[in-house]
Amino acid sequence: MTTIEATAIATAAARVQGATSRTTTEATAKAAGASVSTGAGTSTGAGTGTKTEQALVRRQSRVWREVNATITILMRDVVLSFKSPSSLIMSLVMPIMMMGMIGGNLMQNMAGGLGFDFGTFMLIGMLVNMLFMVTATGMTSLVEDERTDFTQEMRVSPVSRYSIVVGKILGSSFGAIVSMLGTVIVGLIMGITLSLGQWAIILLLSPFICLSGGALAMILIGVIKSARTANLAVMLIVMPQMFLSGAIIPIAQSSGVLFYVSRALPMTYCIDLVRAVVYAGTPEYAGVVLFNPAVSILVIAAITVVCLILGTFLFARSGKNR
Amino acid sequence: MTAVIQVKDLVKQYSKTKEPSVKGISFDVEEGEFFAFLGPNGAGKTTTISILTTTLAMTSGEVRIAGYDVSTQARLVRENVGITFQQPSLDENLTAEENIRFHACLYGMCGYRPTFKLMPASYRKRVMDLAEIVGIQDSLFRPIKKLSGGMQRKLEIVRSLVHTPAVLFLDEPTQGLDAVSRRGLWEYLNEARKAQGTTVFLTTHYIDEAEHVDTVCIINQGVIAASTSPEAMKKSVSTRIENPTLEDAYVECLTRTGGLAA
Repeated sequence: MTTIEATAIATAAARVQGATSRTTTEATAKAAGASVSTGAGTSTGAGTGTKTEQALVRRQSRVWREVNATITILMRDVVLSFKSPSSLIMSLVMPIMMMGMIGGNLMQNMAGGLGFDFGTFMLIGMLVNMLFMVTATGMTSLVEDERTDFTQEMRVSPVSRYSIVVGKILGSSFGAIVSMLGTVIVGLIMGITLSLGQWAIILLLSPFICLSGGALAMILIGVIKSARTANLAVMLIVMPQMFLSGAIIPIAQSSGVLFYVSRALPMTYCIDLVRAVVYAGTPEYAGVVLFNPAVSILVIAAITVVCLILGTFLFARSGKNR
Repeated sequence: MTAVIQVKDLVKQYSKTKEPSVKGISFDVEEGEFFAFLGPNGAGKTTTISILTTTLAMTSGEVRIAGYDVSTQARLVRENVGITFQQPSLDENLTAEENIRFHACLYGMCGYRPTFKLMPASYRKRVMDLAEIVGIQDSLFRPIKKLSGGMQRKLEIVRSLVHTPAVLFLDEPTQGLDAVSRRGLWEYLNEARKAQGTTVFLTTHYIDEAEHVDTVCIINQGVIAASTSPEAMKKSVSTRIENPTLEDAYVECLTRTGGLAA
Protein backbone atom coordinates (compact mmCIF):
# COMPACT_ATOMS: atom_id res chain seq x y z
CA MET A 1 0.00 0.00 0.00
CA THR A 2 1.49 3.36 -1.01
CA THR A 3 1.62 6.29 1.38
CA ILE A 4 -0.94 8.18 -0.63
CA GLU A 5 -3.28 5.20 -0.58
CA ALA A 6 -2.98 4.99 3.19
CA THR A 7 -3.68 8.71 3.47
CA ALA A 8 -6.60 8.35 1.09
CA ILE A 9 -8.18 5.59 3.15
CA ALA A 10 -7.96 7.76 6.24
CA THR A 11 -9.29 10.76 4.30
CA ALA A 12 -12.16 8.74 2.91
CA ALA A 13 -12.99 7.58 6.42
CA ALA A 14 -13.00 11.17 7.59
CA ARG A 15 -15.19 12.15 4.65
CA VAL A 16 -17.71 9.39 5.33
CA GLN A 17 -17.80 10.44 8.94
CA GLY A 18 -18.09 14.07 7.83
CA ALA A 19 -20.86 13.32 5.37
CA THR A 20 -22.89 11.58 8.06
CA SER A 21 -22.31 14.46 10.39
CA ARG A 22 -23.13 16.97 7.66
CA THR A 23 -26.43 15.36 6.79
CA THR A 24 -27.53 15.24 10.41
CA THR A 25 -26.33 18.74 11.20
CA GLU A 26 -27.85 20.24 8.07
CA ALA A 27 -31.18 18.57 8.72
CA THR A 28 -31.22 19.95 12.25
CA ALA A 29 -30.12 23.38 11.05
CA LYS A 30 -32.68 23.48 8.25
CA ALA A 31 -35.38 22.73 10.76
CA ALA A 32 -34.08 25.61 12.88
CA GLY A 33 -33.60 27.84 9.86
CA ALA A 34 -29.90 28.28 10.56
CA SER A 35 -26.80 27.91 8.46
CA VAL A 36 -24.19 25.39 9.46
CA SER A 37 -20.47 25.00 9.16
CA THR A 38 -19.80 21.93 7.11
CA GLY A 39 -17.42 20.80 4.45
CA ALA A 40 -15.30 17.97 3.26
CA GLY A 41 -13.50 16.43 6.10
CA THR A 42 -15.89 17.80 8.71
CA SER A 43 -16.35 15.32 11.45
CA THR A 44 -18.14 14.90 14.70
CA GLY A 45 -15.77 14.44 17.50
CA ALA A 46 -13.08 16.13 15.48
CA GLY A 47 -10.01 16.87 17.44
CA THR A 48 -11.00 14.34 20.06
CA GLY A 49 -10.15 11.34 17.95
CA THR A 50 -8.20 8.40 19.22
CA LYS A 51 -4.40 8.31 19.11
CA THR A 52 -4.48 5.82 16.23
CA GLU A 53 -6.52 8.19 14.03
CA GLN A 54 -4.45 9.06 10.95
CA ALA A 55 -6.56 11.71 9.27
CA LEU A 56 -6.70 15.34 10.23
CA VAL A 57 -10.29 16.36 10.77
CA ARG A 58 -11.82 19.75 11.37
CA ARG A 59 -13.21 20.97 14.63
CA GLN A 60 -16.88 21.89 14.65
CA SER A 61 -16.90 24.74 17.15
CA ARG A 62 -17.00 28.05 15.31
CA VAL A 63 -15.78 29.96 18.37
CA TRP A 64 -12.80 27.60 18.82
CA ARG A 65 -11.88 27.95 15.18
CA GLU A 66 -12.07 31.75 15.20
CA VAL A 67 -9.97 31.97 18.38
CA ASN A 68 -7.48 29.46 16.96
CA ALA A 69 -7.24 31.45 13.71
CA THR A 70 -6.65 34.68 15.66
CA ILE A 71 -3.88 33.00 17.69
CA THR A 72 -2.34 31.53 14.52
CA ILE A 73 -2.19 34.94 12.83
CA LEU A 74 -0.85 36.51 16.03
CA MET A 75 1.85 33.83 16.38
CA ARG A 76 2.96 34.25 12.78
CA ASP A 77 3.97 37.84 13.60
CA VAL A 78 5.73 36.68 16.77
CA VAL A 79 7.66 34.00 14.81
CA LEU A 80 8.56 36.55 12.13
CA SER A 81 9.78 38.96 14.81
CA PHE A 82 12.24 36.35 16.10
CA LYS A 83 13.33 35.48 12.57
CA SER A 84 14.03 39.13 11.88
CA PRO A 85 15.71 40.38 15.09
CA SER A 86 16.30 43.82 13.55
CA SER A 87 12.65 44.71 14.12
CA LEU A 88 12.93 43.63 17.76
CA ILE A 89 16.14 45.60 18.18
CA MET A 90 14.41 48.68 16.70
CA SER A 91 11.54 48.20 19.15
CA LEU A 92 14.05 48.20 21.99
CA VAL A 93 16.10 51.12 20.68
CA MET A 94 13.16 53.42 19.94
CA PRO A 95 12.48 54.17 23.64
CA ILE A 96 16.08 55.36 24.02
CA MET A 97 15.41 58.01 21.40
CA MET A 98 11.88 58.85 22.47
CA MET A 99 12.22 58.81 26.21
CA GLY A 100 15.95 59.01 26.82
CA MET A 101 16.61 61.90 24.48
CA ILE A 102 13.36 63.88 24.11
CA GLY A 103 12.00 63.04 27.56
CA GLY A 104 15.34 63.40 29.30
CA ASN A 105 15.86 66.85 27.81
CA LEU A 106 12.38 68.01 28.84
CA MET A 107 12.87 66.58 32.31
CA GLN A 108 16.10 68.51 32.84
CA ASN A 109 15.07 71.82 31.29
CA MET A 110 11.29 72.33 31.40
CA ALA A 111 9.75 70.21 34.13
CA GLY A 112 10.09 72.53 37.10
CA GLY A 113 7.04 73.79 39.04
CA LEU A 114 4.53 71.37 37.58
CA GLY A 115 3.23 70.21 40.92
CA PHE A 116 3.91 66.56 40.17
CA ASP A 117 6.89 64.34 39.39
CA PHE A 118 7.54 64.78 35.66
CA GLY A 119 9.55 61.55 35.40
CA THR A 120 6.62 59.33 36.41
CA PHE A 121 4.23 61.42 34.31
CA MET A 122 6.46 60.99 31.26
CA LEU A 123 7.16 57.29 31.83
CA ILE A 124 3.44 56.45 31.79
CA GLY A 125 2.90 58.64 28.73
CA MET A 126 5.78 57.00 26.89
CA LEU A 127 4.64 53.49 27.80
CA VAL A 128 1.21 54.13 26.32
CA ASN A 129 2.72 55.96 23.37
CA MET A 130 4.97 52.98 22.61
CA LEU A 131 2.10 50.50 22.81
CA PHE A 132 -0.11 52.66 20.59
CA MET A 133 2.54 53.72 18.09
CA VAL A 134 4.37 50.41 17.60
CA THR A 135 1.11 48.49 17.19
CA ALA A 136 -0.17 51.03 14.65
CA THR A 137 3.06 51.00 12.62
CA GLY A 138 3.22 47.19 12.84
CA MET A 139 -0.11 47.01 11.03
CA THR A 140 1.58 48.22 7.85
CA SER A 141 2.97 44.69 7.41
CA LEU A 142 -0.52 43.78 6.23
CA VAL A 143 0.09 45.96 3.17
CA GLU A 144 3.36 44.10 2.63
CA ASP A 145 1.44 40.82 2.90
CA GLU A 146 -0.91 42.16 0.24
CA ARG A 147 2.05 42.89 -2.04
CA THR A 148 3.47 39.39 -1.64
CA ASP A 149 -0.03 37.88 -2.08
CA PHE A 150 0.08 36.24 1.35
CA THR A 151 -3.19 37.94 2.30
CA GLN A 152 -4.82 35.77 -0.40
CA GLU A 153 -4.10 32.78 1.83
CA MET A 154 -5.93 34.48 4.69
CA ARG A 155 -8.75 35.84 2.53
CA VAL A 156 -9.71 32.39 1.17
CA SER A 157 -9.66 30.74 4.58
CA PRO A 158 -13.02 30.04 6.25
CA VAL A 159 -12.51 32.47 9.12
CA SER A 160 -14.12 35.78 9.97
CA ARG A 161 -12.42 38.88 8.59
CA TYR A 162 -12.52 40.24 12.16
CA SER A 163 -10.40 37.29 13.32
CA ILE A 164 -7.83 38.15 10.65
CA VAL A 165 -7.69 41.83 11.61
CA VAL A 166 -7.71 41.24 15.39
CA GLY A 167 -5.02 38.53 14.98
CA LYS A 168 -2.92 40.97 13.01
CA ILE A 169 -3.37 43.73 15.61
CA LEU A 170 -2.41 41.38 18.44
CA GLY A 171 0.57 40.16 16.41
CA SER A 172 1.71 43.74 15.89
CA SER A 173 1.33 44.39 19.61
CA PHE A 174 4.14 41.89 20.31
CA GLY A 175 6.63 44.49 19.05
CA ALA A 176 4.80 47.04 21.19
CA ILE A 177 5.31 44.95 24.32
CA VAL A 178 9.04 44.74 23.48
CA SER A 179 9.10 48.53 23.14
CA MET A 180 7.36 48.81 26.49
CA LEU A 181 10.12 46.68 27.97
CA GLY A 182 12.70 49.02 26.42
CA THR A 183 10.88 52.01 27.92
CA VAL A 184 10.98 50.40 31.35
CA ILE A 185 14.73 49.80 31.04
CA VAL A 186 15.33 53.41 29.94
CA GLY A 187 13.11 54.57 32.82
CA LEU A 188 15.15 52.55 35.29
CA ILE A 189 18.38 54.03 33.93
CA MET A 190 16.86 57.51 34.35
CA GLY A 191 15.85 56.65 37.92
CA ILE A 192 12.09 56.55 37.21
CA THR A 193 10.31 53.60 38.79
CA LEU A 194 6.75 52.42 39.30
CA SER A 195 5.39 50.02 41.91
CA LEU A 196 4.53 46.41 41.05
CA GLY A 197 0.83 47.22 41.39
CA GLN A 198 1.15 50.09 38.94
CA TRP A 199 2.94 47.80 36.48
CA ALA A 200 0.20 45.22 36.82
CA ILE A 201 -2.44 47.85 35.99
CA ILE A 202 -0.53 49.02 32.92
CA LEU A 203 -0.06 45.45 31.70
CA LEU A 204 -3.75 44.77 32.24
CA LEU A 205 -4.72 47.79 30.14
CA SER A 206 -2.11 47.23 27.42
CA PRO A 207 -4.25 44.94 25.18
CA PHE A 208 -6.94 47.64 24.95
CA ILE A 209 -4.38 50.30 24.10
CA CYS A 210 -2.83 48.08 21.41
CA LEU A 211 -6.26 47.25 20.04
CA SER A 212 -7.22 50.92 19.77
CA GLY A 213 -3.90 51.84 18.07
CA GLY A 214 -4.14 48.92 15.64
CA ALA A 215 -7.81 49.58 14.87
CA LEU A 216 -7.08 53.23 14.11
CA ALA A 217 -4.27 52.24 11.73
CA MET A 218 -6.53 49.64 10.10
CA ILE A 219 -8.71 52.37 8.60
CA LEU A 220 -5.72 53.50 6.56
CA ILE A 221 -4.37 50.00 5.89
CA GLY A 222 -7.75 49.00 4.49
CA VAL A 223 -7.50 51.48 1.63
CA ILE A 224 -3.76 51.86 0.98
CA LYS A 225 -2.02 49.48 -1.41
CA SER A 226 1.59 50.69 -1.18
CA ALA A 227 3.72 49.75 1.84
CA ARG A 228 5.64 53.01 1.56
CA THR A 229 2.47 55.11 1.55
CA ALA A 230 1.07 53.06 4.41
CA ASN A 231 4.18 53.69 6.54
CA LEU A 232 3.96 57.43 5.88
CA ALA A 233 0.22 57.58 6.50
CA VAL A 234 0.45 55.70 9.78
CA MET A 235 3.32 57.91 10.95
CA LEU A 236 1.14 60.91 10.11
CA ILE A 237 -1.55 59.75 12.50
CA VAL A 238 0.71 58.54 15.31
CA MET A 239 3.43 61.19 15.48
CA PRO A 240 1.15 64.18 16.23
CA GLN A 241 -0.47 62.14 18.98
CA MET A 242 2.87 61.75 20.72
CA PHE A 243 3.12 65.52 21.17
CA LEU A 244 -0.54 66.54 21.36
CA SER A 245 -2.09 63.83 23.52
CA GLY A 246 -0.08 64.49 26.66
CA ALA A 247 2.39 61.62 26.37
CA ILE A 248 5.39 63.74 27.30
CA ILE A 249 4.08 67.31 27.24
CA PRO A 250 1.25 68.14 29.69
CA ILE A 251 -1.90 69.31 27.90
CA ALA A 252 -4.02 70.34 30.90
CA GLN A 253 -3.46 74.02 30.06
CA SER A 254 -3.99 73.66 26.27
CA SER A 255 -6.40 76.15 24.72
CA GLY A 256 -7.75 77.12 21.31
CA VAL A 257 -7.13 74.75 18.42
CA LEU A 258 -4.66 72.62 20.40
CA PHE A 259 -7.35 72.04 23.05
CA TYR A 260 -9.79 70.66 20.51
CA VAL A 261 -7.14 68.66 18.66
CA SER A 262 -5.91 67.01 21.86
CA ARG A 263 -9.49 66.03 22.75
CA ALA A 264 -10.02 64.52 19.31
CA LEU A 265 -7.01 62.19 19.53
CA PRO A 266 -7.70 58.61 20.70
CA MET A 267 -4.33 58.29 22.45
CA THR A 268 -5.25 61.21 24.77
CA TYR A 269 -7.90 58.99 26.36
CA CYS A 270 -5.61 55.94 26.49
CA ILE A 271 -2.92 57.91 28.32
CA ASP A 272 -5.42 59.60 30.61
CA LEU A 273 -7.04 56.28 31.53
CA VAL A 274 -3.71 54.74 32.51
CA ARG A 275 -2.73 57.84 34.48
CA ALA A 276 -6.13 57.85 36.20
CA VAL A 277 -5.65 54.32 37.54
CA VAL A 278 -1.95 54.76 38.35
CA TYR A 279 -2.46 58.10 40.14
CA ALA A 280 -5.75 57.10 41.83
CA GLY A 281 -5.81 58.21 45.48
CA THR A 282 -2.68 60.36 45.18
CA PRO A 283 -2.49 64.16 45.71
CA GLU A 284 -1.21 64.56 42.12
CA TYR A 285 -4.39 63.07 40.59
CA ALA A 286 -6.18 66.40 40.00
CA GLY A 287 -3.15 67.97 38.33
CA VAL A 288 -2.41 65.04 36.07
CA VAL A 289 -5.73 63.41 35.08
CA LEU A 290 -8.06 65.20 32.67
CA PHE A 291 -11.17 63.01 32.50
CA ASN A 292 -13.20 60.62 34.59
CA PRO A 293 -11.85 57.11 33.82
CA ALA A 294 -15.36 56.01 32.77
CA VAL A 295 -15.36 58.71 30.08
CA SER A 296 -11.96 57.54 28.82
CA ILE A 297 -13.10 53.91 28.72
CA LEU A 298 -16.25 54.85 26.80
CA VAL A 299 -14.37 57.00 24.29
CA ILE A 300 -11.65 54.35 23.75
CA ALA A 301 -14.24 51.59 23.36
CA ALA A 302 -16.32 53.65 20.92
CA ILE A 303 -13.33 54.68 18.78
CA THR A 304 -11.91 51.13 18.78
CA VAL A 305 -15.19 49.49 17.80
CA VAL A 306 -15.91 52.03 15.05
CA CYS A 307 -12.35 51.83 13.66
CA LEU A 308 -12.33 48.04 13.85
CA ILE A 309 -15.63 47.68 12.01
CA LEU A 310 -14.73 50.28 9.40
CA GLY A 311 -11.15 49.03 8.98
CA THR A 312 -12.23 45.40 8.63
CA PHE A 313 -14.94 46.38 6.16
CA LEU A 314 -12.42 48.29 4.05
CA PHE A 315 -9.90 45.42 4.23
CA ALA A 316 -12.50 42.84 3.16
CA ARG A 317 -13.85 45.11 0.45
CA SER A 318 -10.51 46.22 -0.99
CA GLY A 319 -9.65 42.83 -2.46
CA LYS A 320 -13.14 41.78 -3.41
CA ASN A 321 -14.72 44.84 -5.01
CA ARG A 322 -12.55 45.70 -7.93
CA MET B 1 -23.83 12.62 -10.29
CA THR B 2 -24.42 16.09 -8.85
CA ALA B 3 -22.86 19.34 -9.91
CA VAL B 4 -20.38 20.53 -7.29
CA ILE B 5 -19.77 23.76 -9.23
CA GLN B 6 -22.76 25.52 -10.76
CA VAL B 7 -22.21 28.73 -12.71
CA LYS B 8 -25.17 30.50 -14.26
CA ASP B 9 -25.09 33.71 -16.33
CA LEU B 10 -21.94 34.94 -14.58
CA VAL B 11 -20.99 38.51 -15.44
CA LYS B 12 -18.03 40.46 -14.12
CA GLN B 13 -17.23 44.02 -15.07
CA TYR B 14 -14.30 45.63 -13.27
CA SER B 15 -14.70 49.22 -12.14
CA LYS B 16 -13.39 51.80 -14.61
CA THR B 17 -13.70 49.41 -17.57
CA LYS B 18 -16.02 49.87 -20.51
CA GLU B 19 -17.08 46.25 -21.01
CA PRO B 20 -17.31 43.11 -18.88
CA SER B 21 -14.37 40.70 -18.62
CA VAL B 22 -16.77 37.79 -18.18
CA LYS B 23 -19.96 38.04 -20.24
CA GLY B 24 -22.71 35.83 -18.88
CA ILE B 25 -21.01 32.42 -18.82
CA SER B 26 -22.71 29.23 -17.59
CA PHE B 27 -21.31 25.76 -16.90
CA ASP B 28 -21.51 22.90 -14.38
CA VAL B 29 -18.76 20.69 -12.97
CA GLU B 30 -19.73 17.29 -11.61
CA GLU B 31 -18.44 15.84 -8.35
CA GLY B 32 -15.03 14.17 -8.85
CA GLU B 33 -14.63 15.62 -12.33
CA PHE B 34 -11.31 16.84 -13.70
CA PHE B 35 -12.29 20.10 -15.42
CA ALA B 36 -9.90 22.18 -17.52
CA PHE B 37 -10.79 25.83 -18.04
CA LEU B 38 -8.67 27.04 -20.93
CA GLY B 39 -8.29 30.31 -22.74
CA PRO B 40 -5.76 32.86 -23.93
CA ASN B 41 -4.38 35.65 -21.74
CA GLY B 42 -7.12 38.08 -20.73
CA ALA B 43 -9.92 35.67 -21.62
CA GLY B 44 -11.44 35.77 -18.12
CA LYS B 45 -10.01 32.58 -16.55
CA THR B 46 -8.50 34.11 -13.41
CA THR B 47 -11.48 36.45 -13.02
CA THR B 48 -13.81 33.43 -13.07
CA ILE B 49 -11.66 31.42 -10.65
CA SER B 50 -11.44 34.43 -8.30
CA ILE B 51 -15.23 34.69 -8.21
CA LEU B 52 -15.62 30.95 -7.67
CA THR B 53 -13.21 31.07 -4.74
CA THR B 54 -14.93 34.13 -3.17
CA THR B 55 -11.98 36.48 -3.53
CA LEU B 56 -13.74 38.65 -6.11
CA ALA B 57 -17.32 39.93 -6.18
CA MET B 58 -19.38 39.22 -9.30
CA THR B 59 -21.39 41.85 -11.13
CA SER B 60 -24.35 39.51 -11.71
CA GLY B 61 -25.23 35.86 -12.05
CA GLU B 62 -25.38 32.86 -9.75
CA VAL B 63 -22.52 30.67 -8.58
CA ARG B 64 -22.82 27.73 -6.19
CA ILE B 65 -19.92 25.63 -4.90
CA ALA B 66 -20.76 22.39 -3.07
CA GLY B 67 -24.32 23.69 -2.88
CA TYR B 68 -23.39 27.00 -1.28
CA ASP B 69 -23.90 30.42 -2.82
CA VAL B 70 -20.57 32.29 -3.22
CA SER B 71 -22.18 35.67 -2.54
CA THR B 72 -24.23 34.87 0.54
CA GLN B 73 -22.47 31.79 1.96
CA ALA B 74 -18.84 32.68 1.28
CA ARG B 75 -17.48 31.11 4.46
CA LEU B 76 -19.16 27.77 3.72
CA VAL B 77 -17.79 27.90 0.18
CA ARG B 78 -14.29 28.51 1.57
CA GLU B 79 -14.69 25.46 3.80
CA ASN B 80 -15.05 23.32 0.70
CA VAL B 81 -12.36 24.61 -1.59
CA GLY B 82 -8.59 24.47 -1.85
CA ILE B 83 -6.74 26.91 -4.08
CA THR B 84 -3.36 27.20 -5.73
CA PHE B 85 -3.13 30.75 -6.95
CA GLN B 86 -1.50 31.91 -10.15
CA GLN B 87 0.91 34.00 -8.05
CA PRO B 88 2.64 32.22 -5.14
CA SER B 89 1.00 33.06 -1.82
CA LEU B 90 3.54 31.58 0.59
CA ASP B 91 5.23 33.51 3.37
CA GLU B 92 8.84 33.51 2.24
CA ASN B 93 10.17 34.15 5.74
CA LEU B 94 8.51 31.07 7.21
CA THR B 95 9.63 27.50 6.62
CA ALA B 96 7.66 25.13 4.41
CA GLU B 97 6.23 23.39 7.47
CA GLU B 98 5.31 26.68 9.13
CA ASN B 99 3.36 27.67 6.01
CA ILE B 100 1.45 24.38 6.11
CA ARG B 101 0.88 24.73 9.86
CA PHE B 102 -0.52 28.23 9.35
CA HIS B 103 -2.92 26.88 6.73
CA ALA B 104 -3.99 23.83 8.76
CA CYS B 105 -4.71 26.00 11.80
CA LEU B 106 -6.69 28.57 9.79
CA TYR B 107 -8.86 25.73 8.47
CA GLY B 108 -9.46 24.42 12.00
CA MET B 109 -7.60 21.16 11.44
CA CYS B 110 -5.71 21.52 14.72
CA GLY B 111 -4.93 24.00 17.45
CA TYR B 112 -1.89 26.21 16.98
CA ARG B 113 1.30 25.12 18.76
CA PRO B 114 4.58 27.05 18.49
CA THR B 115 6.70 24.16 17.17
CA PHE B 116 6.22 21.20 14.83
CA LYS B 117 7.10 18.76 17.62
CA LEU B 118 4.28 20.13 19.77
CA MET B 119 1.70 19.75 17.00
CA PRO B 120 -0.73 16.79 17.19
CA ALA B 121 0.59 13.45 15.91
CA SER B 122 -2.09 13.33 13.17
CA TYR B 123 -0.85 16.64 11.81
CA ARG B 124 2.81 15.63 11.92
CA LYS B 125 2.07 12.37 10.15
CA ARG B 126 -0.01 14.03 7.46
CA VAL B 127 2.65 16.65 6.77
CA MET B 128 5.46 14.08 6.65
CA ASP B 129 3.42 11.82 4.33
CA LEU B 130 2.59 14.66 1.94
CA ALA B 131 6.18 15.94 2.01
CA GLU B 132 7.45 12.48 1.15
CA ILE B 133 5.03 12.11 -1.74
CA VAL B 134 6.14 15.36 -3.39
CA GLY B 135 9.77 14.89 -2.37
CA ILE B 136 10.19 17.93 -0.14
CA GLN B 137 10.81 16.09 3.16
CA ASP B 138 14.41 17.32 3.26
CA SER B 139 13.31 20.92 2.72
CA LEU B 140 10.37 20.93 5.09
CA PHE B 141 12.13 22.99 7.71
CA ARG B 142 13.95 25.34 5.37
CA PRO B 143 12.73 28.89 4.68
CA ILE B 144 10.60 29.18 1.55
CA LYS B 145 13.00 31.65 -0.03
CA LYS B 146 15.63 28.90 -0.14
CA LEU B 147 13.38 26.51 -2.07
CA SER B 148 13.29 26.27 -5.86
CA GLY B 149 10.24 27.48 -7.81
CA GLY B 150 9.21 23.87 -8.43
CA MET B 151 9.37 22.98 -4.76
CA GLN B 152 7.40 26.08 -3.82
CA ARG B 153 4.69 25.13 -6.30
CA LYS B 154 4.54 21.58 -4.95
CA LEU B 155 4.33 22.96 -1.44
CA GLU B 156 1.42 25.19 -2.43
CA ILE B 157 -0.45 22.20 -3.81
CA VAL B 158 0.30 20.14 -0.70
CA ARG B 159 -0.95 23.05 1.39
CA SER B 160 -4.17 23.36 -0.60
CA LEU B 161 -4.88 19.65 -0.07
CA VAL B 162 -4.15 19.49 3.68
CA HIS B 163 -7.76 20.24 4.61
CA THR B 164 -9.11 17.66 2.09
CA PRO B 165 -11.21 20.11 0.05
CA ALA B 166 -14.14 18.95 -2.04
CA VAL B 167 -12.99 21.14 -4.94
CA LEU B 168 -9.40 22.02 -5.77
CA PHE B 169 -8.81 25.11 -7.90
CA LEU B 170 -5.47 25.18 -9.70
CA ASP B 171 -4.77 28.47 -11.45
CA GLU B 172 -1.85 27.79 -13.79
CA PRO B 173 -0.12 25.54 -11.23
CA THR B 174 2.81 24.61 -13.46
CA GLN B 175 3.60 28.11 -14.69
CA GLY B 176 7.37 28.63 -14.72
CA LEU B 177 8.21 25.03 -13.87
CA ASP B 178 10.66 22.87 -15.81
CA ALA B 179 9.47 19.70 -17.56
CA VAL B 180 10.66 17.34 -14.81
CA SER B 181 8.94 19.35 -12.05
CA ARG B 182 5.76 19.56 -14.15
CA ARG B 183 5.71 15.81 -14.66
CA GLY B 184 6.34 15.12 -10.97
CA LEU B 185 3.61 17.54 -9.97
CA TRP B 186 1.05 15.95 -12.29
CA GLU B 187 1.89 12.45 -11.13
CA TYR B 188 1.23 13.55 -7.57
CA LEU B 189 -1.92 15.47 -8.46
CA ASN B 190 -3.42 12.62 -10.49
CA GLU B 191 -2.69 10.14 -7.72
CA ALA B 192 -4.12 12.45 -5.05
CA ARG B 193 -7.19 13.21 -7.17
CA LYS B 194 -7.94 9.54 -7.76
CA ALA B 195 -7.31 8.59 -4.14
CA GLN B 196 -9.30 11.41 -2.54
CA GLY B 197 -11.98 11.86 -5.21
CA THR B 198 -11.34 15.59 -5.32
CA THR B 199 -12.97 17.66 -8.04
CA VAL B 200 -10.22 19.57 -9.84
CA PHE B 201 -10.77 22.87 -11.65
CA LEU B 202 -7.66 23.64 -13.68
CA THR B 203 -6.55 26.60 -15.72
CA THR B 204 -3.35 26.27 -17.73
CA HIS B 205 -1.56 27.51 -20.81
CA TYR B 206 0.07 24.10 -21.33
CA ILE B 207 -2.69 22.51 -23.41
CA ASP B 208 -1.10 19.05 -23.22
CA GLU B 209 -1.83 19.08 -19.48
CA ALA B 210 -5.54 18.99 -20.35
CA GLU B 211 -5.26 15.87 -22.55
CA HIS B 212 -6.48 13.57 -19.78
CA VAL B 213 -9.18 15.70 -18.19
CA ASP B 214 -12.87 14.82 -18.26
CA THR B 215 -14.06 18.14 -19.67
CA VAL B 216 -12.35 20.94 -21.53
CA CYS B 217 -14.08 24.30 -21.33
CA ILE B 218 -12.68 27.11 -23.48
CA ILE B 219 -13.32 30.72 -22.64
CA ASN B 220 -12.46 33.43 -25.14
CA GLN B 221 -13.08 37.15 -24.76
CA GLY B 222 -15.32 36.51 -21.77
CA VAL B 223 -17.64 33.96 -23.38
CA ILE B 224 -17.61 30.15 -23.44
CA ALA B 225 -16.35 29.04 -26.85
CA ALA B 226 -16.61 25.29 -26.27
CA SER B 227 -17.26 22.78 -23.50
CA THR B 228 -16.80 19.10 -24.20
CA SER B 229 -14.46 16.14 -23.67
CA PRO B 230 -10.90 16.32 -25.09
CA GLU B 231 -11.69 13.48 -27.51
CA ALA B 232 -14.83 15.15 -28.83
CA MET B 233 -12.90 18.36 -29.18
CA LYS B 234 -10.19 16.71 -31.23
CA LYS B 235 -12.81 15.10 -33.46
CA SER B 236 -14.31 18.50 -34.18
CA VAL B 237 -11.08 19.69 -35.83
CA SER B 238 -11.27 20.31 -39.57
CA THR B 239 -10.12 17.44 -41.75
CA ARG B 240 -7.11 19.41 -43.04
CA ILE B 241 -5.12 18.33 -39.96
CA GLU B 242 -4.06 14.69 -39.57
CA ASN B 243 -4.18 13.22 -36.06
CA PRO B 244 -4.99 16.55 -34.43
CA THR B 245 -3.82 17.21 -30.89
CA LEU B 246 -5.86 19.01 -28.24
CA GLU B 247 -3.75 22.07 -28.91
CA ASP B 248 -4.77 21.98 -32.59
CA ALA B 249 -8.39 21.78 -31.53
CA TYR B 250 -7.90 24.58 -29.00
CA VAL B 251 -6.27 26.96 -31.49
CA GLU B 252 -8.91 26.23 -34.13
CA CYS B 253 -11.66 26.82 -31.59
CA LEU B 254 -10.23 30.20 -30.65
CA THR B 255 -9.81 31.21 -34.29
CA ARG B 256 -13.36 30.12 -35.09
CA THR B 257 -14.85 32.02 -32.14
CA GLY B 258 -13.52 35.49 -32.68
CA GLY B 259 -9.75 35.14 -32.64
CA LEU B 260 -7.43 35.70 -29.71
CA ALA B 261 -8.09 38.15 -26.94
CA ALA B 262 -5.90 41.24 -26.86
